[in-house]
Amino acid sequence: MLPVIAIAKAVSYASSLALMAAGITLIYMCTRTFNFAHATFVTWAFYIVFALVFIAGGNPYMYLPVAFIFVGFLGVLVYLLVIGPLLRRNASPITLMMSTLGVDLVFLSFIQMFADYLTRTYKLYARRIVLETYDFSLLGVPASAVISPIIVVSTIAALHLFLARTKFGTAMRATIENPNLASILGINPNIIYLASWLIGGGLAGLGGALASLSIAGDPTVGNSMVVSMFASSIVGGLYSINGSMLGGLLIGMSEYLGILILSGIVGGWILPYRPVIPLIAMAVTLLVYPKGLAGINWPRLLYRIGVIK
Amino acid sequence: MEIPPIVLYVLVDFSIYLIVTLSLNIEVGYAGLPQFGRVLAVLTGALVASAIPGRILAAIYGYPYGVEYSSYEYNYKVVDAINRVLESNPALSVGIFILTLIIAMIAGAFIGYLTSRPAIRLKEAYLGITLLAMGETLMLISYYYQPLMGGTTGVLVPDPFRWAGGLRFIVATFTLLTFAILILIFVELLTKSPFGRVLRAMRDSELAIAVYGRDIAKIRTCALMVGASIASLAGALNAFYTGSAIATTYTRVTWTFWPWAFMMLGGTGNNIGVTLGVLVFVIVKTIIVTYRGALAPFVPFDPVWLEYTFVGLAIVLIAIFRPQGILPEKPIFTLPRRKLEEFLGRR
Repeated sequence: MLPVIAIAKAVSYASSLALMAAGITLIYMCTRTFNFAHATFVTWAFYIVFALVFIAGGNPYMYLPVAFIFVGFLGVLVYLLVIGPLLRRNASPITLMMSTLGVDLVFLSFIQMFADYLTRTYKLYARRIVLETYDFSLLGVPASAVISPIIVVSTIAALHLFLARTKFGTAMRATIENPNLASILGINPNIIYLASWLIGGGLAGLGGALASLSIAGDPTVGNSMVVSMFASSIVGGLYSINGSMLGGLLIGMSEYLGILILSGIVGGWILPYRPVIPLIAMAVTLLVYPKGLAGINWPRLLYRIGVIK
Repeated sequence: MEIPPIVLYVLVDFSIYLIVTLSLNIEVGYAGLPQFGRVLAVLTGALVASAIPGRILAAIYGYPYGVEYSSYEYNYKVVDAINRVLESNPALSVGIFILTLIIAMIAGAFIGYLTSRPAIRLKEAYLGITLLAMGETLMLISYYYQPLMGGTTGVLVPDPFRWAGGLRFIVATFTLLTFAILILIFVELLTKSPFGRVLRAMRDSELAIAVYGRDIAKIRTCALMVGASIASLAGALNAFYTGSAIATTYTRVTWTFWPWAFMMLGGTGNNIGVTLGVLVFVIVKTIIVTYRGALAPFVPFDPVWLEYTFVGLAIVLIAIFRPQGILPEKPIFTLPRRKLEEFLGRR
């Protein structure tokens, strides 16, 4: 049997992955851009929380909104300076993807500089961030294992309300469906795209800030997670925010727990190969069922296997 | 004759990256495939160079060549003994060098064939991410599976240039440069051949080339195999030059995104432009590395990170302001002008 602490860690890791994947999916749905800069968005969230906790004091949870706003602002910056101009020139999806890689490299260098700055000015050891110790205990497990799923559920609810019940959300859905038709009806697609980068970036920030409570961070932590984020988004189907959240939970749990179970069966040598799990999940989804989790007809599937009558 | 080390450094970087970037140019610039996993083929070459020549020589001269060859307890002893043999035997050095390069190219072509299996089904960004994931997987395997590249400790690679003695680095550098120039000529001829024209036609319109009876799956497979085989050569050369190999140096940033940046700067689909792009980038990188000491007192961070800022900014600025690069792609005239005029005059 798996220890409770491992399951708790897996839950909190999977929840943060779900939020990041939702950001990738939202940005992809609106602007057709696979955002590689998500990697450093997440790392920035780590460092913002770290710097604030060590300089201003307090609890990491206090700074979740700061991480959301700061990284959302980074997303806006990327849209205004890079993606917007490229979209206006009808750049190909590959060019868009490549330019976000360029942005990622720039942000990565800024994080490295920021880490150096923290080390030299505040004498903090910023090359390896461990915030787990700042987490408190709730119901016998680390609080992040309880709070992270609650944040995921409330994000799903908030996004659903936003997209289904507000005028702006409706405009956003219309733009995703057909940008030209939407602009005929007086919707400015630029505003919609900007909002998608704000929310998508914000979700990356939120996910990163939560992940800082369950895993140790370094300047490349986002880059090592980015493949898992894309895997979650693709397993979720790439065209559904809820699907990608589900994909994130699935990938995160199978990454964290699957490797533990496997190591119990075949031995400890398999532990370092953990990142291969999301890669396999992604490759299988792309080659076998590209529609992903969101493309499955859930009621029919549940009926078939006899869960509902 | 004394050549300053910095010139050799620039030439080595230039040669290795030129080969990798040209191979990328075949796949991206000509075939239009989103090759985000270039590191996969480069790493394959490095794996061949770090696992095979040492083992062959160890088997011939009676050293351990099994799993224990690449363990950190034996590797440095075995490779040191092999290097002493190679030092006194230039013919053997050259022979093993060429043999390894041939094996590396075959292995690269095989990896290219493997990557072509998803490539004939997937498109654009999906394919890009799949290729990227394949590269990451091989990186992980070579980092944690010791028999290939020594795992977390890395391995030493037998040095085929040792016989040159004090001229070792000069000989090695000019060998790499020769290979780079040969590959440049080969790629230039290849892309001007009927095969190159088919690649460009496929990039511009898959439908049109299918109508003319060409099998797109086959063309893509060929392009990926040729590209991967050339990139694998670069990986093997790099491992031989540095004399050691560890998986952590083969990251997607240095062996996939940098070549992309070089290619985009020089001109996607133009081999001469790509050469120029690599040269410019390598020189700027060297300047940053050389003068970081002078800059250090003025900034509160290590100036080495400016290298990343520079490459990233270059990618973004080129994508926005000059997507065609320094030297844009030119139409290819297949016959010399004189012959065309003769031909037209006859009619």
